[in-house]
Amino acid sequence: MIIRLLFLGLLTAPVLLFGQVRTISGVVKDTADGSGIPGANILIDGTTKGVATDLNGAFQIELSAGEQVLIVSFIGYKSQSINVGQRSSIEVTLESDATQLDEIVVMGYGEQKKSDVTGATASVKGSELMKQPVLTATQALQGKIAGVQIISSGQPGSSPQIRVRGVGTALGGTTSLYVVDGVLTDDISNVNTADIVDMSILKDASSAAIYGSRGANGVIIITTKKGSSGKLKITYNNNIGFRQAANLVEMANSAEYSNYVQAATGKAPAATAYDTDWYGTILRNALQQSHNVSLSGGTDKSTYLFNAGYLSDQGIVLNNDFKRLTLRFNSDYQLNEKLKFGYQTSFGNSINQNAFSNINIDPFGNIGSVYNNAYRAAPIIASSVDGRYGNTSTFQNVGNPLLDINNNSIKVNENRLQGSTFLSYKPVEWLTLRSSLGGDWRNSLNRGYYYQFNADDKTFLVAGGNQLRTQSSLAVQNTQAFRWVWDNTATFTKQIEEHSFTLLTGITAEKFKVTSLSANRNDVPADPDLWYIGVGDANTSQNGGGGDAWARNSYLARLNYSFREKYLLTATARVDGSSRLPSQNRWQTFPSFGVGWLLSREGFMQNQTVFDILKLRGSYGKVGNDQIPTNAFTQTVSLNRPYPFNGSAEPATNGAQINQIIDPNINWEITKEYDLAVEFGLFESKLTGEVNFYDKKVANALINVPVPRTVGDADGVILTNAATIQNRGVEVLLNWKKRVSETFAYSIGGNVTLNDNKVVALNGGRAIRGGSIGAAQGFTTLTQNGYPVGSFFVLKTNGVFNNGAEVSSYTNSEGKIIQPNAKPGDFIYDDVNGDGIIDDEDRVFAGSYQPVAYFGLNGSVNYKNWDFSIDFYGNLGNEVYNGKKAVKVDGRDNVEKKVVYDRWTAANQSQTEPGANTGNQYASSYYVESGTFIRINNLTVGYTFPVSTLGKFKLSSFRAFATSQNLFTLKKYSGFTPELPGDPISSGIELSAYPTTRTVAVGISVGF
Amino acid sequence: MKKTRLQISWLSFLLLVLFSLVTISCSDSFLDIKVQGGVTTQTDPNLASKLVTGVYNSLLQGDAFGNGDVHGWGFISVTSIISDDADKGSTAGDQLVPIGDIDNFTTTPTNRFCETLWSGHYNSIGAANQALKSLSNASIDDAQRKKLIGEVRFIRGYIYFNLVRMFGDVPLVLRVPDDAADANTDESFQTRASRSLVYDSIKSDLQFAAANLPLKSASVTGHVSKGTAQAMLAKVHMYLGEWNKVYELTNEVIQSNEFALVDDYATIWRQVGDNNVESIFEIQTGEFNNENLDIDNYIVSQGPRVGGSGGWDDLGYGFNNPSASLLSAYEPGDLRKGATIIVIDNSGNHLGTTLWDGFRIPSSDSVQNLFYNYKAYTSREKEKFARPQSKNRPKNIRILRYADVLLMNAEAILNGGGAGDATARVNQIRTRAGLTPKAGVTINDVWQERHIEFAMEHDRFWDIVRQGRAAQVMVAAGKTNFVAGKHELLPIPASQILLSGGKLKQNPNY
Repeated sequence: MIIRLLFLGLLTAPVLLFGQVRTISGVVKDTADGSGIPGANILIDGTTKGVATDLNGAFQIELSAGEQVLIVSFIGYKSQSINVGQRSSIEVTLESDATQLDEIVVMGYGEQKKSDVTGATASVKGSELMKQPVLTATQALQGKIAGVQIISSGQPGSSPQIRVRGVGTALGGTTSLYVVDGVLTDDISNVNTADIVDMSILKDASSAAIYGSRGANGVIIITTKKGSSGKLKITYNNNIGFRQAANLVEMANSAEYSNYVQAATGKAPAATAYDTDWYGTILRNALQQSHNVSLSGGTDKSTYLFNAGYLSDQGIVLNNDFKRLTLRFNSDYQLNEKLKFGYQTSFGNSINQNAFSNINIDPFGNIGSVYNNAYRAAPIIASSVDGRYGNTSTFQNVGNPLLDINNNSIKVNENRLQGSTFLSYKPVEWLTLRSSLGGDWRNSLNRGYYYQFNADDKTFLVAGGNQLRTQSSLAVQNTQAFRWVWDNTATFTKQIEEHSFTLLTGITAEKFKVTSLSANRNDVPADPDLWYIGVGDANTSQNGGGGDAWARNSYLARLNYSFREKYLLTATARVDGSSRLPSQNRWQTFPSFGVGWLLSREGFMQNQTVFDILKLRGSYGKVGNDQIPTNAFTQTVSLNRPYPFNGSAEPATNGAQINQIIDPNINWEITKEYDLAVEFGLFESKLTGEVNFYDKKVANALINVPVPRTVGDADGVILTNAATIQNRGVEVLLNWKKRVSETFAYSIGGNVTLNDNKVVALNGGRAIRGGSIGAAQGFTTLTQNGYPVGSFFVLKTNGVFNNGAEVSSYTNSEGKIIQPNAKPGDFIYDDVNGDGIIDDEDRVFAGSYQPVAYFGLNGSVNYKNWDFSIDFYGNLGNEVYNGKKAVKVDGRDNVEKKVVYDRWTAANQSQTEPGANTGNQYASSYYVESGTFIRINNLTVGYTFPVSTLGKFKLSSFRAFATSQNLFTLKKYSGFTPELPGDPISSGIELSAYPTTRTVAVGISVGF
Repeated sequence: MKKTRLQISWLSFLLLVLFSLVTISCSDSFLDIKVQGGVTTQTDPNLASKLVTGVYNSLLQGDAFGNGDVHGWGFISVTSIISDDADKGSTAGDQLVPIGDIDNFTTTPTNRFCETLWSGHYNSIGAANQALKSLSNASIDDAQRKKLIGEVRFIRGYIYFNLVRMFGDVPLVLRVPDDAADANTDESFQTRASRSLVYDSIKSDLQFAAANLPLKSASVTGHVSKGTAQAMLAKVHMYLGEWNKVYELTNEVIQSNEFALVDDYATIWRQVGDNNVESIFEIQTGEFNNENLDIDNYIVSQGPRVGGSGGWDDLGYGFNNPSASLLSAYEPGDLRKGATIIVIDNSGNHLGTTLWDGFRIPSSDSVQNLFYNYKAYTSREKEKFARPQSKNRPKNIRILRYADVLLMNAEAILNGGGAGDATARVNQIRTRAGLTPKAGVTINDVWQERHIEFAMEHDRFWDIVRQGRAAQVMVAAGKTNFVAGKHELLPIPASQILLSGGKLKQNPNY
């Protein structure tokens, strides 16, 4: 299908070659920092012939006899006309237009001049995203945009988590809405970063209101590249490098381990000859590479772009591997003066092998994940010797992580076809009618094969234990999803004297359907060619399947009005209808208003030289979070409630139960947000910046309201809209750019966001316990009135008991000994309610995973042909929970080296660290650590070869670079990483986190 | 040029048509998408009988740490570990809060097991009320309707019987709430009905079942029968001291000739003894979807546990250990002792313990505890399971067997409920156990026989409470925390009292 489509595209794409007289090559650079400007237009004066610059700002153009003058232009820069004379290569530097306000920004369903925008939006150029060797463009946004926090794990193939201006929900979904060339989606792991020309984020309710019920988690609009008129242009770029774990926790070695276990249990483990570094065993330096080839060109009537990308990303955990192939074909056709047609299509195939989160399989449910096991496994047990594994489970009831890695093969193969096509018609100058139809088809096949092995001496050095699998098993799951969206818009643009109007109206319809089918059987042979369900033992077969479907229908309108280009007004409304709500709530309106005032265009500002730009804006808007379960308002029967009437020999009779009381009035979570900002440019716009204040409130956040158990509701709660959550904050953005001389330029900039999150009211809802990590720890977070969503609520430790006398004198007011069973070296817990018992009632607020502030800093230097850039990312004032350390359940578990040396002993009476113990500790403030960090997110050095040296190689541009992602981190946290994604009520907990990785890569970018 | 303009106006017309098409198609019907795969009461005509099966299924609840327990770890704790017959087991610190507290009579109203037992029983009652509502207007023939209603009412009655024995007065919920507001306002969901009202409802449910259910011989295995209802009703009357009724009902059961004692006591709790001739009410387990259909944690929580120097793949977590006082209650030569208790080899000879199927448990230096419940043992080799490798395998729970009917009958006779030979009834049981017959049995003899016959079968604690000597027995067994007038009942869950705004009252002295 896709091949045919591409073939068709290639055939119809007009490739025109001009008669060649002479070729001029050149490069277009930014005067401010000397960096190449990709996508700048080069037009031969007096003709319609032109080209655009490539990724490095380079171009080549053919001039016929008599053609001498080139017009070089790019949005946001002052155009220049260049007389080429007899030169064959030229270098053009464009000066940024002092009124950079003319930059075009992407809005929902349209574009707008930046000067006219009244809401809070931000955008990042594709070239900026491309700098970073990361999988998804989302991750490359980290630290680039004020108000947008991106939390990413180091795992290949995983999608990072985005929080726009704080956490606005506790139990609803948190996925941001992505709009890829008009197609709405919740995942962009299929989009090749090299295909992206612009990524815009609608941050506030006023700008996101055009997406109505889906705007609450932020809207990210992705525009992919298009060809530009001119002859065929080919570019190739790549990067190749390696990844490694950025920060490891040092574990005790055999001697230290034995010493600690002896102290904790009174019995030293039998000595062995081994000293295993388990992390060293399961981790590796992993290879990562990406390659992109792009062909583009066109005539003045049509353009085309073809891009093929390949990315291979090994995980740093053995056997973990992610590969992705992407193909894209975009074309535009000006059919006649009034009619335009175009399409953007992409195909992506990805294969994710042994994604870490999937390896969590054990026969009896008592062996945790590989990564967790590596933390727990004793160093005195061998990892493997001559193909036989060390038996950790018989020694300490922990699975050998290396064996788990080798005995599970899990593969997710996903194909995705995504695209949209549009027809736009401009019957008169002031009216554009546009109809676009988009589709997104997704098919994924998830296959897990679990090898059979016995706990015998063929598998292990020592037989025994409970790490075994008596039968092999194969599980497959196939999921197919299709979504279409049809947008029809009419845009009226009219300038009446000093009044300018743009009115957008539209209707959209969208439908989504997903079905899945799963099956598994046991006893499938280990040969991968036999990994099919039909091969397994039919007596063990199980299957399942399900689906979901919904439809949406919306009406939208937006009016942009400006008077004298100084006084701005924006009003939008979206009326959303959704099948996922009960009919009485089905239609809802999401309005927004924004006003702006460009002071710098006022007469009284013309006599000063400090401000080039000064703009005030303010807005109010409503957006929704529609991520509630599809069936939340429908009473359905709970199926598969069987009972074995015919004795144990026969399969049971199937039955059903009605065991849920539902809220038939369930509704979307609705956010109301105010936004106030000032934007400025000073000293000929060398210094630019923005300060934004926002206040947003969700008054009907989903929460579980408990009902008496006597009504027979299976979980004792009813999901309903009751809680109020508030986020307030400030965003500050500053950039300084200066061109010191012809060959030297630099820039420095940064952004910081301060956010305050709070549950204002639960309104009868039950405080939500989250972050359950098992063992004696129980839950670790509570979403409670007056505190941030998902705050840590744990016991407070007041040091450590030094002796028995301290234990017996630690009493409450009635003289009751509070911790009668404590030994010297145990924690002293604060008996907050004074009842003489340490229990859940004594838990206190101990901070939140949500930072007080998060920030990004960046700098760049261009000197002659060299370019250098660096950016930092970090956050301040949040806490993380060291879950993996806290959850220790067994005295034979390994411990961190630091724990061995810092521990309380009778001789070294530490007042903070506990004595050697066998784990099973309560959740306490001891495990809450600072999450503050700063890291060098990206550092890149590049060299662009002078155009003059390239001619003989028939190249138009060549840049080589070296880059490093996440080179260095400064953190207080003692664990692997303080960047810990999770859902709103269970974030910031390191339990079996995939470590963040450090990447070092080199690459080239070539234009032919 | 003219032609182009014509084309364009056609096109604009087309676009307008498209616009209006979208508008029309996007009316409410476009948005009327039903929940995919979500069966509702409207979409399945056979729902009523499936809901009855669902009520039976609710007896398998075993989520002691979560949302509902009826016959799981919570049930084991409050019927067995709580009694003088069993200790908590496992390692000293393991599950000290919910289970240790129950064992030591330091239970507080926040005890998690008490809460999940409360939830689990009301989940069953909710499922039963939903099924009854559905049955009342299902299109099935009347005889079938009555039989199905009988089955559901039996289960509801049985569940209330357990509830009233655990908690005393409890809210008496006999209907489905219309919505959350109804559930939060109708007092019957919030306040406790007196024990006598609850017992009246239990009797009425069981009487209906007894009147409308077929005999066991005419029933499919696993379904409750007339005999089940009569025997359960007899037991209810016994707990109320209504001996005439006990006598009358047990006689009917005995004379129906539907039941008998099996020869070998040891086989009763094995798979070979599932639904045997002695079985009157048995919670069924088995397989579904090629997977074990069991009660969560019932077997694995009681399985012998690795300890000491380890080195073997153990059978479970080692809870509910037969106690020293149970061991000493057996008469010499009682065959039932060896069938009830797994004794770990502590002789120092390292011979281990070989079980009936040949499985050998290592000796005490590799095992955590010295005694385990043999009735909770399942054989991986000699019994059949959908997934034998799972440590929690199916095990039918014998709630009521014919031996109970015989002993109830004897006790009724001794209490003047009717004429008969109580001694003969008791000796029927003793003979099977390999003991010599007794002459002239007393009530104490019957109680002793009940103690041994139903050891580790979830009967003991409620039995001694019924007999009015719980405190005395507990103190004798060394469980000195027991306070008479308090610990006969469990605390009402604090969370539920809070939710009712204090309308739900706590049991005395908690």
